[in-house]
Amino acid sequence: MVEVAAAFVAWLGVSLVVLSDARRGLALGTLLAAAGLAGVALPEAGPAGTLALVAGGAVAAARRFTAGPGGWGILPPGSTPRLILCVAGGLLALWVGLAVMTGEGAALRFAVMSGVGLAGARALSSADTSVAQTAFAVLALAVAAGAALGADAGVWPFLAGAGAAVAVTWAPGRVQRAA
Amino acid sequence: MLPESIELLALAAFALAIALVFMPDRSPRRRLALQGGAGLAGTAAVAAVPTFDLALLVLVLLAVFQAALEGRRPTAACLKAPGVAVALLALAAVFARVGGPELIHRFAAVGLGAGLAAALGLLPYLHVFDPEEPVTASPIGWLAFVGPVLAAVIVAGAQGLLPADAGAAFGAVLIGLGVVNMAWGSLAAWLTESNGAAWRYSFVADWGLALCGFGLTLADGRRAALLVLFTVVLGRLPLYLASRQAGKDRVVTERPVNLLVAAALAGSAPFAGFAARVLLLRGATQLFWPLALVLALVMLLWLPGSLRLGRSMGLPRGRQALGVALVLALNVAAGLYPLPLLAGARL
Repeated sequence: MVEVAAAFVAWLGVSLVVLSDARRGLALGTLLAAAGLAGVALPEAGPAGTLALVAGGAVAAARRFTAGPGGWGILPPGSTPRLILCVAGGLLALWVGLAVMTGEGAALRFAVMSGVGLAGARALSSADTSVAQTAFAVLALAVAAGAALGADAGVWPFLAGAGAAVAVTWAPGRVQRAA
Repeated sequence: MLPESIELLALAAFALAIALVFMPDRSPRRRLALQGGAGLAGTAAVAAVPTFDLALLVLVLLAVFQAALEGRRPTAACLKAPGVAVALLALAAVFARVGGPELIHRFAAVGLGAGLAAALGLLPYLHVFDPEEPVTASPIGWLAFVGPVLAAVIVAGAQGLLPADAGAAFGAVLIGLGVVNMAWGSLAAWLTESNGAAWRYSFVADWGLALCGFGLTLADGRRAALLVLFTVVLGRLPLYLASRQAGKDRVVTERPVNLLVAAALAGSAPFAGFAARVLLLRGATQLFWPLALVLALVMLLWLPGSLRLGRSMGLPRGRQALGVALVLALNVAAGLYPLPLLAGARL
């Protein structure tokens, strides 16, 4: 039951990143996604890996909370396609993770597939630096959580995912050079 | 670390050294050394990490590093294609690791092929390209510097992740992508207006050959892919760097050196590209002879684009001329006697 709730939280967090254009919404989405992904990865990642994911997500969220366009910016005008993407992407990941794939860890599969898919789509569709960096940070956390599906992942992928998420959000945006 | 990756890494380091030693005096050597060295370290990390997931996370860091360099494209534009690549590769890894119908593993094969193309900036995921952008911040960095090692790591990772049937599907995806990139890249290198864009498309065409080599899943295919990547890293990349100065001065010349450069770029004998093409055609004939026929026909498309690129080199002078001569000599040596190169990669 805890895993199911964590998977839902992860999807909700990534959906917030997809649906938000401002720093508060993006920060909350990052935090929720990290917490949810850590929750579903807990059985395989162990306490250290889980803690790393939560800490990485928290630091990335804190950074996003202090930089980027102000406000919440959730569901701005014209965001209906993104809302449909979140719902349809979640349903597709749920169907594939539960009905098509077999074996243990359905919640982990759902959370990783929806996290990677939605964060990748957000990175592809965004023209704003802070949004793209946030999407990349969530993508790194989801990739790290996906390592729990492999045999004997160890703690390194989770530490690396957390480090990547922090590095992405703290990296400077590209300096535009005049033509 | 894979022997192939070690060799490709060494080639990338050598290409960086050539660029630093033989670039014109007015070029920003220190910046290239720092940024190229950091890129090389990141590439080495991709090859050195023990798992596929860690390689993807290093790829994320490399993309963010490149997006932070001084350039002309906005950060979000720089992160698009690497983001798609990481997402596709990560999804493919999930599909490859779980149980389920055989179709799931075939989806994983498609995802790995598509993710590789997106990471490199090949069709159907061409990165946004600005010819005026510094090389380290441009998509050429992915195509010619990071790409070869990355491709070796992803192909090896795919072989570890996929079962045999899906491995064959992965090979088919690579061959399909390879033929499309060969045809599109060589035609675009010939017909596009800008010389800078023509050089980029010529890299795309060469990558088509390399993907076909990887996809053949025969020893000859892997050998051909390695030789093509040698020509990309130690042939096309240094020649492209040399041509950028001529491009700025808008110089177009038709001298013997331009013809030699065109021959090297077209993969004619005795350059390394010729040996690569022979191996590729031999491997394709062993696998399915009509494929060899298609490849041979598409290979003819290299000629007009290469003549154009050769002319765009201008007349190299001073230390740049020495650099071009060294690159051509290396390509002749690898073309005439590729065995040390192949033995180094245990192929």
